[in-house]
Amino acid sequence: MPYLFNKFNLASHRWPVFSRILAATIGGYALATACSLFISQLLLNVVGKYQAIHIGLMLTFIVYACAAIWVFSVESASKAWLGLIKLTLFFTITTWLLMQFTDVIRS
Amino acid sequence: MKDNFRQSMKWFHTWVGLIVGWILFFMFLTGTMGYFYQEITRWMEPERPFIEHNISNEQLLDTAQAYLNKHAQGIDGWDIYLPNVRDQNLRVGWRHPAEPGKKRGKYKIKVLDIATGDKVASRATDGGRLLYRMHYRLHYLSTDISYWIVGFCSMLMLLAVITGVVIHKKIFSDFFTFRAKKGLPGWLDIHNVLSVIALPFHFMITYSGLLFFLFTYMALSTNLQTNDDEYREMRKEIYPRTAHLEKANQPAKMLDVSVLYQQTKTAWQDDDLSYVEMYAANDINAQVLFVRHETDITYNPADEVMINAVTGEVIAQQAKEYTGAGIIHNGFFSLHEGQFAGPLARWIYFFTGLIGTAMIASGLILWTTKRKPQQMKKPNGPDFGYRLVEQLNIGTIVGLPIAIAMYFYANRLLPLDMVDRAAWEAHVMFISWAILLIYPAFRPAAKAWPEQLTLAALVYLTLPLVNALTTDKHLANSLPHQDWNFAGFDLTFLVVGCCFAFAAYKVKVLQASKRFSKQSSKQSSKQRVQQNKPPVLAASESLLSLQQVNKEKC
Repeated sequence: MPYLFNKFNLASHRWPVFSRILAATIGGYALATACSLFISQLLLNVVGKYQAIHIGLMLTFIVYACAAIWVFSVESASKAWLGLIKLTLFFTITTWLLMQFTDVIRS
Repeated sequence: MKDNFRQSMKWFHTWVGLIVGWILFFMFLTGTMGYFYQEITRWMEPERPFIEHNISNEQLLDTAQAYLNKHAQGIDGWDIYLPNVRDQNLRVGWRHPAEPGKKRGKYKIKVLDIATGDKVASRATDGGRLLYRMHYRLHYLSTDISYWIVGFCSMLMLLAVITGVVIHKKIFSDFFTFRAKKGLPGWLDIHNVLSVIALPFHFMITYSGLLFFLFTYMALSTNLQTNDDEYREMRKEIYPRTAHLEKANQPAKMLDVSVLYQQTKTAWQDDDLSYVEMYAANDINAQVLFVRHETDITYNPADEVMINAVTGEVIAQQAKEYTGAGIIHNGFFSLHEGQFAGPLARWIYFFTGLIGTAMIASGLILWTTKRKPQQMKKPNGPDFGYRLVEQLNIGTIVGLPIAIAMYFYANRLLPLDMVDRAAWEAHVMFISWAILLIYPAFRPAAKAWPEQLTLAALVYLTLPLVNALTTDKHLANSLPHQDWNFAGFDLTFLVVGCCFAFAAYKVKVLQASKRFSKQSSKQSSKQRVQQNKPPVLAASESLLSLQQVNKEKC
């Protein structure tokens, strides 16, 4: 392990930046997708299925942008990753809960 | 990332802007030209006749229908495009039957000569359409790859716009400050002003650009929520279409379109016809859709009148139903495309697009000017990264406009019977761009800038001349005919050429004055130290930048 650590020079300042870039692109995309699912579940019974999906999708770019900016504003890369994972999980779980809820209403 | 939020954002803004800056410059410049793509196409087909003034819409419709009856029998959908400010020729179009293995046939437009009623044989060219399609469907790459590259760049552009607002300290006061003759601005000032004056445009154009491929970029979310049928349904809801009858395969005699048009005229109370669509032509189910010039950003149901072409009855159209989100979505589309814009608004679009282009250019130049003093001190000369950025800046900011001019030259000078002529026009453009990108690698930046600027000036100033030597659609003919498509194009070239000439001249003058002030500052530095005055170098350097941005505006 220490060998690898030295080999890839993990202590250098490049790795955290690279990690943040990954967090912003992949993590941000995951968060934006989870958020769009959440929004369309939330609006499902208000505006109809297709429009709910559409609104969720249209807002993804804003969510994505905010996530990327946030990733580059916190102190450390690990904090950025943790925050993204937490939020993505939150949206996914809430969406799942909402799905149970709406299905109960329908049946 | 850095010590505080603003510092981090500054760092982020710098690098986000730099890595895709040149592609964004390309997208903004070709996209801006797209606001005039119909005009460009007409200029690139000089075989087309001059504008004919004072011909009634009825007469034009008769000519078009006669041509279609003769040459497009058996085709379901006919379109007639009336001459307008953007394209002053009568055109007809239809979709050919699909070739085996393809989903849809090719759509072809033919230009008609009003005097003879026959089609104009033009040279092979892809015209302005090719230029404008480049800005989202990068020319040599496949559709999927270019959509993703364009999406990535647009996303970074969105980030750059947002972080730009965040790091700008006094955005509101800048918005309302008129800065005339308040000393000489540096590159940062220029970048700020260009960004702030058109900020709503920058945001709109970037966000709507992303919306165009919403379902491609967010495919994961879409696929998780819909299956194929639902997806099709959803798209129908977002982009509703005018409903029309299908062919019944019973031939019937259609009334003259010009006769049917009379009812439309009374309904509209004006004669502002833009185009006509005919469905199931010469069939019992034949229908004609008259569409007025678009004037609204949102959808106006009164702009369309559908008439049964056999009986002449007006068919009560069910207005297209847009959802709330659909109105916003389509509203962003029409803001992006500017189809509703009249001549004045179109020029405003054009200049705002150029401001966006200049903003990107100034940002790229700012990156080098900020690092220049430090880089020049290095014992082995500037870093590779610095030199690369400088080279790409010169090769793109001045090189791309020259390459676009070469596209127009190719249109006039390539042999008319050449194989793949249309494709070669684009090849010429990209080959010359490649040369201009490589050239600055072998020249010092201080020389490459004025040299390429001079070349740009030469190229644009001689374009109208080459046009006059190779065609009869030059200024001496187009002005007396009051054909502003052709004349406006040549005049714009002259103006652009003058701007480049001015920029080249100023760069040279300022370089000379800089050399002079360097010498004099050596001589007088002792005095200045005594009097405690700062050197004057900074001022002259910022003057240089002002002149260069003038060029960008053109």
